[in-house]
Amino acid sequence: MRRRWFFLGAIALFFGGLWALEVRPGQLIPSEGGREAAADFLSAAFQPALDYEESDMRGGEVSFLGKIGKALWLTVRYAVVAMSLAFVIGVIGGVLGSRAWWSQPNLFLQVLRIGTRLLATAIRSVHELMWALLFLSAVGTSPLVAILAMAFPYGGTLAKVFSELLDESESSAGEVIRASGGSGFTAFFAGVVTKALPDLATYALYRLECAVRSSAVLGFVGIPTIGYEIKTAYEDGHYHEIWSYVYALLIVVVLFEAWGAKVRGLLTKGTPSRVGEEKGQSLSELWRGRGRSWFLRFSVATLAVGIAAGWMAEDRWGAGVGWEQRERNLDRFTDEMVPYPVREADGDWSVFGSWFSEKMSDGGAVALWRTFHVGTTAILLAGGLSLIGILFAARTLASSNPRGVRDGGGKIRGLLGMFLRGASMLARAMPEYILAFLLLRVFGPTYWVLIFALAIHNGGILLRLGAEVIDNTKSQASEVILAQGGNRSSAYLAAMMPAGFNRLVLFLFYRWESCIREATVLGMLGVASLGFLISDAKVAFFYDEMILWVGLGAALVFVGDLTSDFVRGKLRTFE
Amino acid sequence: MLEFQSASLSYGATVALDSIDLTIRSGEQVCLIGPSGAGKSSLLGLCNGRVPATSGKVVLNDQDLGELNGKALKGVRSRIAWVPQDLGLIPNLRVSQNVACGLAARKGFWGLMRSLLLMGKAEKERVSGLLKRVGIEEKIFSRVDHLSGGQRQRVAIARALYQEPQMILADEPVSAVDPERAKSLVELLTTIAREEKMTLVMSLHDVDLAQRYFDRVIGMRAGRVVLDGSPDDAGVKELYRLDE
Repeated sequence: MRRRWFFLGAIALFFGGLWALEVRPGQLIPSEGGREAAADFLSAAFQPALDYEESDMRGGEVSFLGKIGKALWLTVRYAVVAMSLAFVIGVIGGVLGSRAWWSQPNLFLQVLRIGTRLLATAIRSVHELMWALLFLSAVGTSPLVAILAMAFPYGGTLAKVFSELLDESESSAGEVIRASGGSGFTAFFAGVVTKALPDLATYALYRLECAVRSSAVLGFVGIPTIGYEIKTAYEDGHYHEIWSYVYALLIVVVLFEAWGAKVRGLLTKGTPSRVGEEKGQSLSELWRGRGRSWFLRFSVATLAVGIAAGWMAEDRWGAGVGWEQRERNLDRFTDEMVPYPVREADGDWSVFGSWFSEKMSDGGAVALWRTFHVGTTAILLAGGLSLIGILFAARTLASSNPRGVRDGGGKIRGLLGMFLRGASMLARAMPEYILAFLLLRVFGPTYWVLIFALAIHNGGILLRLGAEVIDNTKSQASEVILAQGGNRSSAYLAAMMPAGFNRLVLFLFYRWESCIREATVLGMLGVASLGFLISDAKVAFFYDEMILWVGLGAALVFVGDLTSDFVRGKLRTFE
Repeated sequence: MLEFQSASLSYGATVALDSIDLTIRSGEQVCLIGPSGAGKSSLLGLCNGRVPATSGKVVLNDQDLGELNGKALKGVRSRIAWVPQDLGLIPNLRVSQNVACGLAARKGFWGLMRSLLLMGKAEKERVSGLLKRVGIEEKIFSRVDHLSGGQRQRVAIARALYQEPQMILADEPVSAVDPERAKSLVELLTTIAREEKMTLVMSLHDVDLAQRYFDRVIGMRAGRVVLDGSPDDAGVKELYRLDE
């Protein structure tokens, strides 16, 4: 019954969203001129450039491949450096937001914990692109802007997740240490942190993969990462070069994901001993044969060197404009971020209400409404498509012996499953913002573009997570259906999907929150939503309006975040 | 010597222990039996001052545990080992590192961190000796989550012994293993405790094990001691009735 209402609600919300966004299938067909440009752009995807398209540029100081390499290096470097800062914020916020280190609960600690968690949620509610715009407006261009723009929201996210992981890791190991006379501090570090360490490292690595994508996207607001090269190549009409940058980025992100997956596996499962561990072996023999992974050691060392090199490679973190100019920028920004009527009324905030209402009725409310629907419609589309895709992508169903029941056939299904898993990996690797940028070249400025970009990226993630859920869900009912001659679709729909339903919905809500967050910035590409208003205000130097729209976007994400947390908490209790 | 003097424990309106009067002599092997919710775990909680009595006293070697705080309490606890039901091991650490946690109180924070990150040769040898005693010396450098259930219980025992305790408290440590394995573990723990002249207080559900390996059996029901005597004195029928 619950499931039926959920599906009906989702369908109603999806079509309601399409209606609210006033999208029609006809908008997917480009105009005559647009068709030609779209065809040129898409055909260039099959012939990525290996050299500059502009012949004047060839034979210059830096080769085209060298330029790609430099852009990639900057993309990865900014991501690594920003993550090192975000990690520090995450660790401090994670500990303060957790109750695992308390000896005795008291009011001060409770307030500290809740305050830290709310602050972490608020910081992460502002998208890194918005942080970048704020910093750029306030102090001007410099590499440090890119680092801070990523470190803030990522630090907030890490703090939130770290505190949850530490609380979940609270166990009797710490209690044993405390009961045997150890201090609360010792018990927390030895009993709780050590136990949570693989999960903490696993999550931090996942965020590093995300940071590489974010770093690329920051190029669209002027930070010299690969996104900047993609944007410049488009402005110059160099379509073949665009695809070279896109493919290079995809390769790096996929490599990062593969490396992260390997390291996470080693951290979680450990490495088995290399000797038989027989009685009578000497201590030194056992020590030499202990389970250890050179790959893991190499990865940790590389990461440490990478962070150090990332910080040291830049000797002009504050470069861009002079400090005097920066101070002037900051003064102007802080003056003008106060709403215009308040400034005119010599700081009388009583006029704020009417200004706010005017701005909301002038387009703010519509933009907010549309941003919400872009995110929600996209995640519903992604969820619906991934539910169908799981039937083919789940390994236990794609195999010739589905769920261990001999079937004999399934070769084509196996190939289809492999293709879908590969496609989902590429979809995950591609940042939504860059995907939307590319789709805009094909379809023009329509909400479909934003919905598709979000749906493709999140569909890839949901397909992977969903297939894992189905593969790991124990369902004897599905085996009975298959053993009695039923097909895979019946086993999936009648037994496996209902068994894994709660987890699938849990992931849907987790990605919904992320979709809303991304939806707030996608409008910056030129489609009327909150992001559009933000970039419009930035271009006009209306910092008061810019802050208003950023704040509104953050409030939407904040509410989405809390709603998603609440629903996921409820779903967990049903499990 | 551990004395309970009209010790009671309540959680709000729920009475977990109701005016317990008991004396456990040093070196004694005591088994607590009784159905779930009888108060066995609560009684063990009072033994090392983890939980303070709501009324009455718990006196260990002439020291009222309720009066102790801070360093003094930690000092007392450093000589009492505790093996909880879920064993309290850190799954992603090696056996040697888990055993080293037994000396957390005496090593202090930095000392323990050193043991966890860079354990010296002498300490490794000491840990190895203890693991040999519990029969898993070859697992010294294995991760705990790579071990079987029985092997993990032996790690928890080794950690308790590493503490060089005067008393071991064990809260249903064999509840999750098969009867054969449970028997060998209880035998191991009682044998070591006798050899080392340590006090052992263990809660169990298995009356046969209680009768076979312990000096004294204390039966509990609804927060009260309903039976206290030697396994032979208690009478099998009466003990079984307690577990109904």
